[in-house]
Amino acid sequence: MAQKLRDRGFNAFVIAGGLREWSKAGYPLEQVPEADIVLLPVFT
Amino acid sequence: MHPLANLARHGYLALALVVFLESIGLPVPAALALIAAGTAAVSHAIAARYALPLALGATLAGDLLLYLAGRLSGWWLLGVLCRVSLNPESCILKSAQRFHRRGKLTLVVAKFIPGINTMAPPMAGSMRMPFLRFLQYDLAGAVAYVGAYFAVGYAFAGVIDVVYRKTMGLTRAVEWLAVAALAAYILYRFLLYWKHRRADVAPRITVHALADLQRNEPQKILIGDVRSHGYYDRGAQRIAGSVRLEPSKLLVGEEQLPRDRELYLYCT
Repeated sequence: MAQKLRDRGFNAFVIAGGLREWSKAGYPLEQVPEADIVLLPVFT
Repeated sequence: MHPLANLARHGYLALALVVFLESIGLPVPAALALIAAGTAAVSHAIAARYALPLALGATLAGDLLLYLAGRLSGWWLLGVLCRVSLNPESCILKSAQRFHRRGKLTLVVAKFIPGINTMAPPMAGSMRMPFLRFLQYDLAGAVAYVGAYFAVGYAFAGVIDVVYRKTMGLTRAVEWLAVAALAAYILYRFLLYWKHRRADVAPRITVHALADLQRNEPQKILIGDVRSHGYYDRGAQRIAGSVRLEPSKLLVGEEQLPRDRELYLYCT
């Protein structure tokens, strides 16, 4: 994805290890905002 | 070697193993093993009263494992399974909606449909289908699957045996062909992997360097969360200060992305 953006002229980078590495290093996290949540159907 | 001789030699363990491996998604011919078991039962090479419950138990064990994996991982497992799809985002959404509508029926017939058989149990788990309800429908599906193929082997034992003996000469050639096809496929995957490794790939940044950037020059950067599975559960977390960039719409809506800032993306 980052490479495709670079091909289109964006200065894009990949975060090595992603969220897992960020979280492991103890850097701050935040709750995903309610508005961004896509609620998929569940059985109740 | 004749499949009946194989079954007699390796016994119930081979049958259970093949059925279990298929139910956890590996491409092994469980249906053929069940047909061979049914054929073997006619000549008493194996006993149906042991083979059937064993195959059933192996199927259920594999399905339960995937159900629990779905239950524990939320939407992550479905995200992984959808990764091979052209559009992972819509794959997750559509699969979930369809399964919610026809979940019970899907569980009963899933075993007969390659691909769906592996997707159905983890989806039931991800979508929090109550355990006993899952067990009920999955058991019905497993009984139908194991019973149907075993019955085919049992009912057509004579025909299957004759067909096998007549085509025995071809068997070795088919085996070699299968091995060659497998080797070609592995080589193809390796070449693809090598090509992508050699191709230009986007530069990476460590989380420590990014944290420094975020602290010192936040106006110069945008952290984008391109996970397709991280937004389906209340309470999900992300990197503080990051924004969601939907993978399926990222390249379509590129005009909305800032060109004057560095974009840092994460997807795991």
